[in-house]
Amino acid sequence: MDLFAGRRFLRSLTVGLTTAVLLVSCGGSSSTSSGSSTDLTVWVAWGGQELKAFKDVVKPFESKNGITVHITTTRSGDLQEADNVAAGTSLPDVGVVPSQDKVKDWATKGIMKPMETYMSGDALNAYLKNTYESLTKPLNGDTDTKIFVVGGKHYSAWVKTQLKGMFWYNPKVFTQGSNPPKTLDDLLAIQPPAGTKLFCQGLSSGDASGWPAVDMIDNIVMKQSGETVYNNWIDGKQKWSSPEIKSAYQTLGKLLSNNNTYGGSNNVLSTAFSEAQRPLFTTPPGCMFLEQATFEENFIIQDNASAKAGTDYDAFAHPSINSQYDGNVNWFGDSMVVFNDTPAVRKFMEYVTSADAQQIWVNDGGTLAALKTVTNYPDPILKKAAQAIAGAKHLLVTAGDFMPADMQHAFRASMLDYVKDPSKLDSILAHLDQVQSAAYSS
Amino acid sequence: MEKVITAVGATVLIPVFVLGYIVLGEKLIERLSGRLQGFVRPYFWTAPAIIFAGAIMVVPTILTAINSFQSRDLSKWVGFANYKYFFTFPDTLISLRNSIYWLIFFTFFAVGFGLLLAILLDRVRYENWAKIAIFLPYPISAVAASIIWKFMFDYKPAGAVQTGTLNAVLGTVGIQPIAWLVNSTTNNPALIFIGIWTQVGFAMVIISASLKGISPELLEAARIDGANEFAVIRTIVTPLLWPTVTVVGTTMIIYALKQFDIVYVLTSGAYDTSTIANQMFLQLTSSGHLGRAAAVGVVLFLAIVPLLIINVRRFQQQEEMR
Repeated sequence: MDLFAGRRFLRSLTVGLTTAVLLVSCGGSSSTSSGSSTDLTVWVAWGGQELKAFKDVVKPFESKNGITVHITTTRSGDLQEADNVAAGTSLPDVGVVPSQDKVKDWATKGIMKPMETYMSGDALNAYLKNTYESLTKPLNGDTDTKIFVVGGKHYSAWVKTQLKGMFWYNPKVFTQGSNPPKTLDDLLAIQPPAGTKLFCQGLSSGDASGWPAVDMIDNIVMKQSGETVYNNWIDGKQKWSSPEIKSAYQTLGKLLSNNNTYGGSNNVLSTAFSEAQRPLFTTPPGCMFLEQATFEENFIIQDNASAKAGTDYDAFAHPSINSQYDGNVNWFGDSMVVFNDTPAVRKFMEYVTSADAQQIWVNDGGTLAALKTVTNYPDPILKKAAQAIAGAKHLLVTAGDFMPADMQHAFRASMLDYVKDPSKLDSILAHLDQVQSAAYSS
Repeated sequence: MEKVITAVGATVLIPVFVLGYIVLGEKLIERLSGRLQGFVRPYFWTAPAIIFAGAIMVVPTILTAINSFQSRDLSKWVGFANYKYFFTFPDTLISLRNSIYWLIFFTFFAVGFGLLLAILLDRVRYENWAKIAIFLPYPISAVAASIIWKFMFDYKPAGAVQTGTLNAVLGTVGIQPIAWLVNSTTNNPALIFIGIWTQVGFAMVIISASLKGISPELLEAARIDGANEFAVIRTIVTPLLWPTVTVVGTTMIIYALKQFDIVYVLTSGAYDTSTIANQMFLQLTSSGHLGRAAAVGVVLFLAIVPLLIINVRRFQQQEEMR
């Protein structure tokens, strides 16, 4: 119909052709499984280690139930699903969550099925009881699309979680790990050895550059000014130039200042996020701490396969800023959404939300479960992270992921501009206000 | 199953259909009277091309122009709001400024060096080898070239081992490393330089071909009349090369205006390096604002059209001269 429909057509044609070729080469097994009790299709965003872990999770399910799970990895599954919904073509039985602007629409139109319909009462009650409360219960008791709850019904089945804002360190350099700094001021007051800086960071990440700093400031806002300001900010009701957000930028400025960071601002901006940890482990060390989510472990192990959690590297959860808001913890998670309610899907969803399945995920490393009943973690860092999540009063989503697209982009770009030249803070915030007023209305 | 049909359809049925169109169509035309045949045949043969060009170029262009007056999801009419946004918002204005930088500096240096190299290399014995060396970056895709230069521009803090070639060289003479792609005074020139590096070979080869077409007798005559080499270049070579230089120049301007890939790979438009094409991509994908993306596309299109016209005119003039 238009330029963009043409693009979609091409993309779906490419996907179609590739899939067809794959199917032919696989011996022509059938793919669609409407109402099937022996097959189901799942789209996931996972590749590499994460995909391997998922396959480990699926294996016992397949052999026990005689159900074949067809897994497709798609990098932008939410876009693909939106395309298929728009085109009226088939959706996977189980897929990834849609982008925020689609949640309400898809729920009311019945495109996504709520857990209330595909899970038995007992299984659902167990899920709601044992999953971290903030993932199933909206903050103010309202319906909340941020955790995919619409009209009191749950559309997203959480299977994995990650904790953001952990401070990673080398225990041979920072020896006080058993007694980590209580407050951010304590952390900033630590005197690094000569030639070593307090922090490392890397903000370079292609056209998503800046996101590690977005994660950092998310933690600052929620722990400095509280969950109400934080959620209003996501929803566009809190101005960027307001004192709360401005002071969050200023606090971030201490963590990423030219003087406090290894190599200074230029290096923070030039370094890829996946390489930011390296100066922690050099001799002499370049820096003492790196703030990053639980998945940071994967990068450390990539650099040094024999590194052991607790002895070669360690981490502590984000220190307090305003003790009143210590209960606010920044998380993100992986979840599954059901598009076709079939007997196979029912069994599968009951399985992935069970402790048995999530324990397999956890054992494969690099992630936390969504169930608080899973407590047996393979390494001490994940155990600490799980405790931080379990101890949270409010688990809050990552602001950077839940703002309108224009806002997200401007937010990330503002991080780069601010780190590059902190003296421009006022004009940066004024610009963000300008984007905000346009992004939430159009 | 339907996917298998799509695959078979795409790979088998389309060629079969094309073949059928040619064979059956020609059979039908042969049955027509002689005069009618002469009238129908050209239209019949050009019809697929016209339909294709219409469907994949003309129609989308018109629809894009329509979309540019519509809202984010194309559901509402918004008048000139998207254009107003483009010409007033600081981010888009910076990309407009950068595209003008590209237009001026990239075109000037790519054509200038191309001309200079063509003329100078014409006078040396190792001409072919030198030309190969200069032309070599041209066939490299812009993405690959950008990745090569990503290594060249790599930055590590002072004191650390410099993995970037340029900073390693600076280090040997005791100069502090430069964050080429972050620093606002070096990043745009660095990106434009990569563009020149890849395109100057093309400009040189085209200009050189035209240079070889200038008859040596003409130059000899001038020299016998007492003209020195500078006078020969200024009064004979340059005017004769001018039509070619214009064509190369307009091609380079179009390249400059549609510049996207080098910027995308190296900075993704951060630190005030984005161009109009980057802005269009950003509006389309990251922001998902289809109306604004279309408006940016239309601006880009309108900027390029006059150049296309100049180019086509030049080609026609050259044809007439032959």
